[in-house]
Amino acid sequence: MVVVLSVIAMISAGILAQVYSVTSVIIEENQARALESSVFEVLTGTTQVNIIRRSADELGVDDPKEMREKEQKTSLIYQGLNDAGQIIGFAFVGEANGYGGAVRVLVGVDETSKEILNVKVLEHTETPGLGSKIEDASFRDQFVGKTVEDPLKLGQDIDLIAGATVSCRAVAEAVRKGFDDATAIYGGGN
Amino acid sequence: MTRLWKDFIRGLWDENPTFRLLIGLCPTLAVTTSAINGMSMGLATAFVLICSSALISLIKNLIPDKVRIPAFIIVIATFVTIVDLFMNAYLPELHQVLGLFIPLIVVNCIVLGRAEAYASKNSVIASAFDGLGMGLGFTWALTLIGAIREILGAGSILGFRILPEGTTTIGVMTLPPGAFITVGILIALMNMIGNRNKTT
Repeated sequence: MVVVLSVIAMISAGILAQVYSVTSVIIEENQARALESSVFEVLTGTTQVNIIRRSADELGVDDPKEMREKEQKTSLIYQGLNDAGQIIGFAFVGEANGYGGAVRVLVGVDETSKEILNVKVLEHTETPGLGSKIEDASFRDQFVGKTVEDPLKLGQDIDLIAGATVSCRAVAEAVRKGFDDATAIYGGGN
Repeated sequence: MTRLWKDFIRGLWDENPTFRLLIGLCPTLAVTTSAINGMSMGLATAFVLICSSALISLIKNLIPDKVRIPAFIIVIATFVTIVDLFMNAYLPELHQVLGLFIPLIVVNCIVLGRAEAYASKNSVIASAFDGLGMGLGFTWALTLIGAIREILGAGSILGFRILPEGTTTIGVMTLPPGAFITVGILIALMNMIGNRNKTT
């Protein structure tokens, strides 16, 4: 009885380990590629992307795998250049908790004016028909033209969508946190 | 051959898991916020149903009776995880749409229920056909519920807006109470149709 269960469990674990090792590589590649193609969207005119990484010391991690995981989340800055090699601006990923889970946004910022050019919602699990309205252009356009000095808060300079308060707040928080982090790296460094 | 056809057709109408057997209602109510969500969940569940029913039928004689439920669950969870990983790798856009709903298939009563009620007692081919019928029956039920909730709650179908912008939609339809109401009315309709066929 115990033997049969153990055998089934072991075979299952073995199969899943194999499938995972094959698919995890592809999944990571997909995610990185999807993110980079999103950069072209939020920084119009970009034909080339430089990725600015933070060093391990700045991130506060020792392990390279942990560093890769942390990088994947928010710490990478994407610098967009056009055909002529001029820097259009930079894009960063912001993340905050929404109603149904994490909300991740990609924000494109202009190089000279340091104003937000575009905000794209990368992923969310908000309620379709309600929270999902954060994807609407009319909501996202509110962020265009804002700088890191602006409050970027619901009720102050960002209007919410009726019935989607938590989702809207998540987007505002994600942009706020990400903008602060990114300006700290990009403003000082490059 | 007619026996296999009967196994298949059963799940589509007479013993439709959602409207007749009333099982697997948790994911049904939660996932059907739109037609595409319902359909995708249904198809993913159908795939797991067919595979797990077939495999469980194949190894049914090797599993001692006392540990059959844990054994079934391991098999089902393995298939669901494989589906999840493969979708994430090879169909990333679709996986993004379904996201957290795929792991929910493991706790779908239909899968464990059919394994216990049918697959563990019948041949591999019959179990596979039963899984196919139940899976497709589940799929059309979910697609219908999702479509109704989407049209009334968000004014669109399969993502395409069909009601003009600004039309007041019945917001509650995308929330749990709307799900209960929709499913309840559909079950009543199914019963009405079923009773009418009986009396004629």
